[in-house]
Amino acid sequence: MTTLRIPSMPRLTRRAALAGLAATAIGAPALIRSAKAADPIRIGVLSPVTGAWTVYGQAHSRGFELAVGEINAAGGVLGRPIEMILADYQTDQRLVVEQANRLLRQEKVDLLAGTFSSADRNAAGPVVKAADKILLYPTWYEGQIKDYYPGVCNPNIFMFGPEPTQQVWPFMEHMVNTYGKKFYMIGSDYAWPRVTNLFTKEKLKELGGEVVAEVYIPFNTPQYESVLRDIREKKPNIIFHSLTGSDTVNFSQQFHAAGMSKDFTFWTVDDEEVVTSGLGPDVSAGHFVSFDYFMTISHPNNKAFLERYKARFGPDALMNTVGVGMYNAAHMGALAIAKAGKVDTASIRDALKELTFDKAPQGPVKMRGLDNQIVVPSYLMKVRDGWTSVNDMFEEVKSVPSVEPKDARCDLPL
Amino acid sequence: METLVSVFADTLLITLVLALAAFGLAIIYGLIGVINMGHGAMLTLGAYFTWWSTRHGLPFAPSVLASAFTVGAVGLGFEHLIVRHFYNRPFDTLLLTWAFFLVATEMIKILFGTDFRNVTPPLDGAIDLGIYRIPAYKTLVGALSILLILGTAFVLFRTPLGVKIRAMVQNREVASLLGLNVARMYKLVFAFGAFTAGLAGGLIAPMYSVDPYMGNTFLVRSFFVVIVGGVGQLLAGTLFGSFAIGGLETVLALFSDQVIAQIAVFFIAVVILRFRPQGVFTGR
Repeated sequence: MTTLRIPSMPRLTRRAALAGLAATAIGAPALIRSAKAADPIRIGVLSPVTGAWTVYGQAHSRGFELAVGEINAAGGVLGRPIEMILADYQTDQRLVVEQANRLLRQEKVDLLAGTFSSADRNAAGPVVKAADKILLYPTWYEGQIKDYYPGVCNPNIFMFGPEPTQQVWPFMEHMVNTYGKKFYMIGSDYAWPRVTNLFTKEKLKELGGEVVAEVYIPFNTPQYESVLRDIREKKPNIIFHSLTGSDTVNFSQQFHAAGMSKDFTFWTVDDEEVVTSGLGPDVSAGHFVSFDYFMTISHPNNKAFLERYKARFGPDALMNTVGVGMYNAAHMGALAIAKAGKVDTASIRDALKELTFDKAPQGPVKMRGLDNQIVVPSYLMKVRDGWTSVNDMFEEVKSVPSVEPKDARCDLPL
Repeated sequence: METLVSVFADTLLITLVLALAAFGLAIIYGLIGVINMGHGAMLTLGAYFTWWSTRHGLPFAPSVLASAFTVGAVGLGFEHLIVRHFYNRPFDTLLLTWAFFLVATEMIKILFGTDFRNVTPPLDGAIDLGIYRIPAYKTLVGALSILLILGTAFVLFRTPLGVKIRAMVQNREVASLLGLNVARMYKLVFAFGAFTAGLAGGLIAPMYSVDPYMGNTFLVRSFFVVIVGGVGQLLAGTLFGSFAIGGLETVLALFSDQVIAQIAVFFIAVVILRFRPQGVFTGR
């Protein structure tokens, strides 16, 4: 099993360290020495470093690594450094369980962060429930419905990514009024697209819109001719898209190659920086994308964040909503431990509730106590024609500085 | 009418593209009996080399050719160093080629990173047939697929080299007793199979997502193509197999949806194999 230990001292070049410290103004070099002596607080990070979600694995683990470096450079938490223990679960839900158990039992970590897709998180749910440990989950996801307990509605899991009433709802009125009421929904065949569409349909009904088709595609499908034909026949206004991984790239490329880009409005809740890079400028131009974070948002926090990120991982390194989710998770986890003064699960859980983090790259965020759901900004962006890199990929169409989600459909409070 | 034309065009194109993707496997598996689990990785390598070359300023066509030759060379090296020692142990070659997939995939990640990459198609847009628009680049790839298969057929059936290869396939021992350098033939065929996979990878790169696991999407389908069509049946077998696995899905999706069509296709493949385990085009 691939295990990578991130040493308690960040591996920064001197210049990068200075840039990072100057940018955050949280440097306290005097504290580093005392922190080094103490036992580290150990956090197990479950990342898809290999397998189908490999493409997301890098931003995912790097976001956390950057935050851990910053926290340790500022003296750690309670005088103790944070040690990040990275475990690769190879995009295999079976290995999520195996690796989570290994981290908890052998590595004796104090808490867990990570997993990527909803299926991964749902696999980790029973493990953190049984072991009574916290899991910090970074990804945009389908929201919490009791049916999927303990993957959601689990008092030990904290959600740092947006759910549909934050990611989709704020912009539906605008999209329906501007581009039309007929939605064609296409998504990958698993929990996230299905429940996301369920929520989207609810709001769409309120707005008087209709769904002309709802199609779910098995993973790793290379051919989409029949779907494209169906789209042409049903003549929707908006393609509402929640395919993931290579399928989103395959579908979009064939959609574009069939000359259909100009005939339909394309709204995706999946294609962040990583996927849009894979689509290329021709295929992705004009797509609408909504998320809590984009590399191109103009919030001052983001500028400082990206400077530190690129100083550490190079000028071409990609960041996205998941990486930022992991970054916020690490910082807020550390803040919670500092606030609680202890690292046991009950103390961290209590301290995380209602915690705010002002330095989040997308703008200030807050963890709701009621349902462990982050309150984040939301952005609707449009992919620029002829973009050249992630630095000019999206332009802002609309934004909301802070979106309170609808209450989770669980037995509340969690 | 519109539906009929579009279904026909789509079916034809997907069949040809899948035939291209599976052809390298059909050659290596069909002619020298190595179950090449590294086929997907060879496609992926071709796609990444093409991406890398176009990014460094080489035009698309030379990039694809260079990638095909590079993957061919990689295949040659792999054959020379490892595979040739295991020709009599088919199960071991299965494991070895799977190892090739694992190593190649990790090498790709180290060399080219784990992000999605994209290759701009040299032909953008669609050809307007009046009632239906067909993707221009895919049509080109379909045409190249036909050329490649016909070219290989020509070599196999109309040249002295082809006679030697067929002799080797028919009876390796007798062929070598008659003075044929079987080891060299195997090497050549393996390298050509790798070359074809690299070529296919480069050509399909602009149509599909380029990521370290892209070849896997085609690996299982390629195996079905080869087995349904008949091992060793390079021409009719590959084309029929591609139709049964790729084209049929498009036709069936017309009457149902994508999920059911995919299941139905593999179900039909299983039924075919039940009654003709040697493949449709292989005589008993």
